[in-house]
Amino acid sequence: MILTGAFIDEEVRAGRIVIDPYRAEALNPNSYNYRLGEHLKQYDEHSGQFVEVHLPDDGYVLSPHRMYLGHTSEVIGSSVYAMSLIGRSSMGRLGLFLQVSADLGHTTSCHRWTLEIVATRPIRVYPGMVVGQVSFWRNRGELAPTPALYATFNDPSESRIGAPQ
Amino acid sequence: MILTGTEISKQVRGGRITVSPFDSARCTTNSYDLALGRRLVVYQEEVLDPRKEPAHEQREIPDEGYLLAPGDFVLAETAEQIGSDHYVPMIHAKSGTARLGLFVHVTADLIDLGFVGQSTLQLYATLPVRIWPGMLIAQVTFWVPYGEIRLYRGKYQHADGPQISRSYQDQPVAGHA
Repeated sequence: MILTGAFIDEEVRAGRIVIDPYRAEALNPNSYNYRLGEHLKQYDEHSGQFVEVHLPDDGYVLSPHRMYLGHTSEVIGSSVYAMSLIGRSSMGRLGLFLQVSADLGHTTSCHRWTLEIVATRPIRVYPGMVVGQVSFWRNRGELAPTPALYATFNDPSESRIGAPQ
Repeated sequence: MILTGTEISKQVRGGRITVSPFDSARCTTNSYDLALGRRLVVYQEEVLDPRKEPAHEQREIPDEGYLLAPGDFVLAETAEQIGSDHYVPMIHAKSGTARLGLFVHVTADLIDLGFVGQSTLQLYATLPVRIWPGMLIAQVTFWVPYGEIRLYRGKYQHADGPQISRSYQDQPVAGHA
């Protein structure tokens, strides 16, 4: 079952959901609006590495069909509920992907989420703008958390697939 | 919990889910199939700016279809009005659509409780693909919420046709220009 906005609010106040900083006005009927953090990484094809970009207040233009890593402004997590993190429709309507088919947040993770940002058209993005939504879902069954990897990161973090243990 | 197709049909008849027009033959095991309407919106801006109202153009899908090239992004409409005050709708591509490399939304699949209207599809093509009016392009699922319900009163309520982004109407958040 997906939590309503009113219940997300109750659970934040009870400490069973972490959203920090929290703004009650960012609650929707069944989700919470998160904001874009100020650090971005863009892939450099020559070096084969991600290069950091600091988003200026007057915005930064993303090139289409190119992958960027961003992050949420907020620390988001819960030791009780599973999460799904998506883009909001006002960004989807501008052709901006906020994740690349990896929306699921595991119960017990709590951090600033890395966003996989892909623009389908050139678009200017601003630090702190509301870009997406997180929803919270009730679990059924015993919780046996897998060891956290990405959930320990608060900055845009590239894939660790194939990296040394 | 997700509703079954049979339950969706029952809830539509009981007035707790809106799908209009409704055809019970379009209920699948866990969803309802949505048809593509005729109206499209294409942005005219070289660079989109979420703080500015984007210039755009309305188009219609002709009977012979409308060709999307790889990388094209257009806004389209579901033929149906959908919504519910009791269950949370989510939009998905039909797998037949996805197998053509066509996205029907751009990571915005969740609909707010209380919204009712035509859903704006965010079509993004990765292959050349022809779209047709009336084609079954997407599906909607319905999920049981938990907690007190406060209904949507947002800017896209009663959407009639594809709606451009209204992010330019957002109030700036304190601490950020």
